[in-house]
Amino acid sequence: MSPELPSPARSPSRLTTEAAFTDWIRRIVTGAAELQAFDAGQLDAVLDPATGSAILLPEAQAALQGSSRLVLSAFDALPGEVCVLDAAGTVVMTNIAWRAFVAARGGAGLGVCEGENFLAACRNVGASERVRAQTVAAGLREVLAGKRRLFRSEYVCRIPGGHCRFTLTIAGIAQDGAGYAVVARENVSERQRARAPRGSGHAKASRIAAVARASAANRLLAALPANEYERLLAGLEPVRLTYGEVLYQPGERMRHVYFPSDCVVSLLTVVEGHRALEVGLVGREGMVGSRLALGLTVSPVRALVQGTGTAVRMESERFVQEFRRSPALRRALFRFTDTLMLQATNNAACNRFHVVEARLARWLLMTRERTPSNEFHLTHEFLADMLGVRRVGVTHAASALQRQKLIRYRRGTITILDQQGLEVAACSCYRHVRVKGLEAAK
Amino acid sequence: MARKRTRASAAGAPVTTTVVVMRLYVAGSAPNSLKAIANLQAICGRYLKDGYKLEIVDVCEHPRRALADGVLVTPSLAKVSPSPASNVIGNLSDTRSVLAALGLPAGMLE
Repeated sequence: MSPELPSPARSPSRLTTEAAFTDWIRRIVTGAAELQAFDAGQLDAVLDPATGSAILLPEAQAALQGSSRLVLSAFDALPGEVCVLDAAGTVVMTNIAWRAFVAARGGAGLGVCEGENFLAACRNVGASERVRAQTVAAGLREVLAGKRRLFRSEYVCRIPGGHCRFTLTIAGIAQDGAGYAVVARENVSERQRARAPRGSGHAKASRIAAVARASAANRLLAALPANEYERLLAGLEPVRLTYGEVLYQPGERMRHVYFPSDCVVSLLTVVEGHRALEVGLVGREGMVGSRLALGLTVSPVRALVQGTGTAVRMESERFVQEFRRSPALRRALFRFTDTLMLQATNNAACNRFHVVEARLARWLLMTRERTPSNEFHLTHEFLADMLGVRRVGVTHAASALQRQKLIRYRRGTITILDQQGLEVAACSCYRHVRVKGLEAAK
Repeated sequence: MARKRTRASAAGAPVTTTVVVMRLYVAGSAPNSLKAIANLQAICGRYLKDGYKLEIVDVCEHPRRALADGVLVTPSLAKVSPSPASNVIGNLSDTRSVLAALGLPAGMLE
């Protein structure tokens, strides 16, 4: 029996002390093999016959709670204002941006705190907002009732000194049989201000809007405060980078810096008489041309686009000015430069100590993180440069991963079939590089 | 929800190949459960090729099914057929004991 431990796996907080837990397990589990695995720390859960539920062991709980914390951090890192409502419309979760909005606007514009009811807030708005609030409430009810998956509405509210205009997007989610709704608020007042002619007319406004769209996915830019980001927008221009395009050659002056959105750029070092070798990979987490931040204007590497997509770029001189002017940009750049250096040092060790198959798996995963697709167009020649091996080495490694059904490689197109399996096949470097990359992008 | 991963024999496989049917009980994405899945898939891919069927049962979703099958802890691997039935407890990092439970000769281990 287990009177003190009736909790199902979903409510681990009811577990008592470790000693009591161990005693309880030894009462339930008596088999030698089970106890041996328990003593070796190889168990995750015990099934309680009394309650018919699974009880997670403390180590497994801690690990799962760790991944929950990661999800919460990701929720907080979203630049938009987001909250989650339960089936009754009560706010059960908010991200930092939502809480900042509520604090700044004093509850105006449906700024509802955790524990308060969103539907009640829609009823209690002032006369000027009533019609729009009723529309939002009706849409929310339909989403919560499962009658529609998505609802969008524009909302205007009065704030000190003017009006605030934003769009509300409400999406339904189901968890454990209960309906929830995610509410995302996007402020369109700032976008409209950006569109407003400021001396040079509509063309300038639409160019800035295009830059804002093209740069939205770059996490280095997204991490900047709104005012600093807006100032940068004026100096940025959207560009499409295509597979095989060379942005810099070694020894060449860097004319532009690039902030990738959904393209990937390889940094290759070229040693006379040998193949090029990849020393860094930059995607939407960073910037190409970060050496300018160190006061250097010449590129030591070849910057080669290896995944077609969009980016925004800025002239180097302008970038250096902005870098001097903006403390937030400096901080973001220093963090990213550190990540890039770690990647380069890691690559050096990886190229020396790990087998090509594991390196190829690591490289594919790193590329996958930075691109929106599971499919890449790559030639053997290209991959040989990335990994610093001969083409035949790439053929063997790709065939081995294909035999394990982790990838499919046909006519220069690699498709990742089993991401988890590929993570197992990759060398440990991927774990180090991935974690550091994420940290830098916060 | 029970996750099913089934790999049937390839059409051209020799008729003498016996399909090993297994069931792996795991607790969601807890660390030892993930290790057990990865270890078992590596073992199956290497030693059984296509000659196996594997069902993965998440006890967080289906605790009563696991209890009905006589499973008390996870990760836990049960060989269902061919008889005799056998099981291995833990994260399946000991390839030798997994091969033994699956009825494969230890000599297969390099």
